[in-house]
Amino acid sequence: MPKQKNPFWSFFASVYLTITLLVFTVVLSIVGTFIPQQDAARGFAQGIPSGLASFLQTMQAFDLFHSVWFFLLMLLLSLNLIVCSLNRWSLTWKQFRGSPISGEEGLFQGLSPERIFLCDEDVGTVTGRVEGLLNRKYRNISSNQEKEDTVIICGERGRYSRFAVYVVHLSVQLLILGALLGAYWGWEGYVNIGEGETADAIDLKGGKGTKALPFTIRCDKFIVAFYENGVPKTYRSDLTFLKDSKTLYQGPLLVNHPISLEGVRVYQASYGSSPDGRASLAFPRGGKEGKIIKVGPGEIFSLPEKEGTVQIVRLEENLMQMGPAVKILVRSGQGEVSFWIFQHIDKIREMNPGVTEQVPMFNPALFKPYVFVLKGMEERYYTGLQVSRDPGAPLVAAAAVLMMVGLIGTFFSSHRRIWIKIQPAGEKTKISVAARSNKHPVVLDREVRQLTEQIKVSLEKGST
Amino acid sequence: MTNTMVLSWVTFLYFGAFVFYLFRLVFGKEFWGKAAFYAVLGGLGAHTLGLMLRWKESYALGIGHAPLSNFYESLIFFAWAVVMLYVIVEWRIKNRSLGVFVLPAAFLLMAFASLASGISDRIQPLIPALQSNWLTSHVVTCFMGYAAFTVAFAVGIMYFLRNIPLFSFIPEAHILDELIYQNTVLGFVFLTLGIMTGSVWAHYAWGAYWSWDPKETWSLITWLIYAVMLHARYVRGWRGKRMAVLAIIGFAAVLFTYLGVNYLPGLHSYLQS
Ligand code: HEM
Repeated sequence: MPKQKNPFWSFFASVYLTITLLVFTVVLSIVGTFIPQQDAARGFAQGIPSGLASFLQTMQAFDLFHSVWFFLLMLLLSLNLIVCSLNRWSLTWKQFRGSPISGEEGLFQGLSPERIFLCDEDVGTVTGRVEGLLNRKYRNISSNQEKEDTVIICGERGRYSRFAVYVVHLSVQLLILGALLGAYWGWEGYVNIGEGETADAIDLKGGKGTKALPFTIRCDKFIVAFYENGVPKTYRSDLTFLKDSKTLYQGPLLVNHPISLEGVRVYQASYGSSPDGRASLAFPRGGKEGKIIKVGPGEIFSLPEKEGTVQIVRLEENLMQMGPAVKILVRSGQGEVSFWIFQHIDKIREMNPGVTEQVPMFNPALFKPYVFVLKGMEERYYTGLQVSRDPGAPLVAAAAVLMMVGLIGTFFSSHRRIWIKIQPAGEKTKISVAARSNKHPVVLDREVRQLTEQIKVSLEKGST
Repeated sequence: MTNTMVLSWVTFLYFGAFVFYLFRLVFGKEFWGKAAFYAVLGGLGAHTLGLMLRWKESYALGIGHAPLSNFYESLIFFAWAVVMLYVIVEWRIKNRSLGVFVLPAAFLLMAFASLASGISDRIQPLIPALQSNWLTSHVVTCFMGYAAFTVAFAVGIMYFLRNIPLFSFIPEAHILDELIYQNTVLGFVFLTLGIMTGSVWAHYAWGAYWSWDPKETWSLITWLIYAVMLHARYVRGWRGKRMAVLAIIGFAAVLFTYLGVNYLPGLHSYLQS
């Protein structure tokens, strides 16, 4: 064929090229795990000499997996695969269609002694038996009267496995295509929505601006449950999706169970509590248990005997790993004093005896004669959603299935052909078994041994 | 907890098996070979029991999940898969000389899991993102793949030692070559499955089937190295020494994927805890 001579063609038909390209992809990927990428790259770039940083920037080294280099490698690999596959196709087709009966030269020469044996039946009977046996396990059985009383019967198995490698390579193509589709037409971003609030746009990943959604999301409720050790066990948001003030969909969103709507997928990614929660405070005066009030940040209330006012300065869910705390500012005739009130002050005192003396800011009794007590903090949660669209995902999924099918076909199956020659040898009949396989010689060997055994057994049974 | 006790005994059984395999070489008596194989079988049985117990105990704690969720559990499962595969290989090729090279991998993994500081053997509750069947199948398939690559690596090492008189018991080169190839193929299929199930999990849990985090990238690197190896053998006819070298390089990539990347930041660093 003339195309073999074409330098372009032979360049791309080479498996050396494949190996080179794969090695380049490996090298590029390794570099990509050592140079911080995308969001992580920003901090890194500030810490190195600016000349180097701008060089790396021009080389697209901070987003290698979406760089021209990576794209080029994938393009070349695709071309390589296509040319390689086309190049080998006619040979594979020939091997697939080729009538096994024509066999090869010297098929029966140099057979090991176990593959040749004699029996008492005549050629006709043996031929019948062998055909019957072969028919059970092999396809495309045909026989051929070579000389007047010499018969060759042949059959084959696993013919289709010749195509398996093409399936693998096709799946690689689809994978690359699907990944490119996703990289160029997909997007990914985040949005936090407080309970009762709505959002209709998200922040794109990598600081690439915002994106309007085709619908509005309202967070009706957020619920989280914890294990005893404080690790979250489950969390979920009850969401309503609205379009033109009509409800598109309403339901809970859980981790690992995204909601798919209008080609956009919404994931439960994270959560947090807003700083505008409320604290329950008590302020017993001289041992007398007072009432409990609920206050939010910035709010001011007055103390019972008009001894001053208290302003809530800050609410912290977990201050310095010591649990919930509020910072208050007490204004009175004696001036201003500001200090923290921890919910778990008893435990903190137990673990660090004397702490409230050493750090007056942590002493809830700093404004005498009151002792402030934080009874609890009411949190207002927001839900953290990840929103993304990936038009390549279905293609990638199909590629994955194809790849598994192809790999199994390639590795665990082979095209095996068996030829059995039956000829008279004096009083007896001589049977020789030849076999070929495109791979796995050990498997073929075992199969031939089994087949010879079966033939022997069936011939013995027939003669008694 | 009973399971960690059972599992630490397994470590000793594997070590014993290794010593017996060594005795077999030194004294040339098949008795030691048999003893070693029974020790391996006993170890594997206890190992399986230990895993089941751990599973059961996690339910008793009210946080039931398959024992495949933290670093300790992954090491234990890795060792289990290596021994399981070894038993199959020994039984199929009817040759015991591999034991000396494969069992150290198993008991080192077990010993590392129980002894290394900073590896907690407690049964921990799962955060919501890890509560997924895809994650379980991901871990199982990945570590089956790693186990096959570990065996291929051990055979690769044997390839280079076989000309030293001390190691004259090592099978012929072509048998080693075939073993490297078969285990690589097995590892490749499982790693492919592992990457796929991991992607499906990521697709449901993180919103993208692939995010180029270091662990993902390194699993791809490993996969590509083995793809190169298969092509070099199948299409370019590479055999023997070159395959042994590639099996060793591939295993280095496996180790980096498993342990090395935990020192780089990324999603998968949950394994550190
Ligand atoms: C990452 C991408 C690739 C993967 C995963 C892959 C996978 C495979 C597998 C599993 C085999 C079978 C090997 C065996 O039986 O041991 C194979 C064979 C082969 N590959 Fe690839 N391959 C890839 C890329 C390529 C490319 C780009 C080419 C282009 C030249 C190529 C050319 C071949 C050829 C010619 C064979 C032998 C086919 C035969 O006649 O049976 N491969 N490939």
